[in-house]
Amino acid sequence: MTSPDFFRKWTAYALALIAVLCLECFIMNRLPVWGVTPRLLPLAAVIVAVLEGPLSGAGFGLAVGILADAVYPGLAGGMTLILTFLGLGMGLLCRYFLHQNYLGCLICSILAFFTIDLIRIMFDLLTHVASLSTLCFLAFRELSWSLVFTVPLYWLFRAIHRRISRSANL
Amino acid sequence: MKDFMKHNGILILIVAVLLAAITFVCSLFAGTDPLSNAVGVLTTPFRSGLNTVAGWVDDVNGYLFDYDTLKTENEALKQQVADLEEQARAGEDASEENTRLRELLNLREKHSSFDLESAMVTARSTSNWSSTLTISAGSDYGVEVDQCVIDEYGNLVGIVSEVGTNWATVNTVIDTYTELGGSIARTNSAAIIEGDFTLMQQGKLKLSYLPEDTQIISGDQILTSGKGGVYPSGLVVGSVEEILDDASNLNRYAVIAPSADLDHLVQVFVIKDFDIVS
Repeated sequence: MTSPDFFRKWTAYALALIAVLCLECFIMNRLPVWGVTPRLLPLAAVIVAVLEGPLSGAGFGLAVGILADAVYPGLAGGMTLILTFLGLGMGLLCRYFLHQNYLGCLICSILAFFTIDLIRIMFDLLTHVASLSTLCFLAFRELSWSLVFTVPLYWLFRAIHRRISRSANL
Repeated sequence: MKDFMKHNGILILIVAVLLAAITFVCSLFAGTDPLSNAVGVLTTPFRSGLNTVAGWVDDVNGYLFDYDTLKTENEALKQQVADLEEQARAGEDASEENTRLRELLNLREKHSSFDLESAMVTARSTSNWSSTLTISAGSDYGVEVDQCVIDEYGNLVGIVSEVGTNWATVNTVIDTYTELGGSIARTNSAAIIEGDFTLMQQGKLKLSYLPEDTQIISGDQILTSGKGGVYPSGLVVGSVEEILDDASNLNRYAVIAPSADLDHLVQVFVIKDFDIVS
């Protein structure tokens, strides 16, 4: 892949990420389903890690994490760290143990949400915010509603990945 | 995998750890990290515009689909205005008598004055684990952490938790971090107003640490007590929906429905300073 192709691909990913951010922060947060809104930024990080592999996944995870820390309230650097590790981890998982397809993406998304929610639940249990069952129920609803969005998001990022990889090969 | 980690992975992880540490330290000591502040400054005008459009869509939706409900509500409100006008007329005599008696006893006149800063709501909560609002006023306008935010009717919306240059984050009254002194308007009994994780999902909060002999009934209005001097007294928080026993069955708590319409707020006011004589 040449430098212009590389630049084109990552610009397209960045634009898609901005669209996902707008969807999450300005539209979906007004339309809660089952009392929750979907979390789309972690999904975007995982999908790109699945498609691009561990190194690009970690880099993209780092960028998405910084963005998530800026827009999600009260995380203070936590998402930067978590999404970089998840980008790297899910990229490695898909490269060596799973396939780079939708099923692999779905499994990685579930693992990613499980990790993020586990950290959140542990923090909330330590600060006595709520009981374990209440926190787990919220995490379950959030995971279920967010996973619905793996379909359009995977389609969006895969379209960018395929189109630019194909044009680079021609 | 080992080679990959040796050549590339470690570097990215080190960058991530450093960035996370910088963000954490900055937010710990400066109140808000520079990155969140930069994103907030750049996106505030965009958020305001988008929020106006979304508000307009909500209004159109309300007009098209909730017309009958709005009509019924309008009739009920007209009746309520008539009742309140009658009460106000009756209250005028009592107020004049109160002024005369205060003068007779040489008491200072009751008053409350607020130094308010108007702001628009530019974003709503982006997390299922907390309830926050972002407003279009920040340190440039003298907004500080722990200041109260009210709506146009004087109902408490929440407390400022993070301040940027031209934006601030407000933890709403239903957020789990909310904890302030409250009082029951009818009996003047003191208690603690606090957010509860389960109730937050239903858009409610609770009044706990109720004294044993407290008389509280459904519909009672809950105000801020102002004890401690951090928050002003007399701000309307909400009304009691039901009274329940806690898990130990030894104490009671009341479920409060907030008076501020947190889902449809457009404009709010930050109380930057207050002077209350009661």
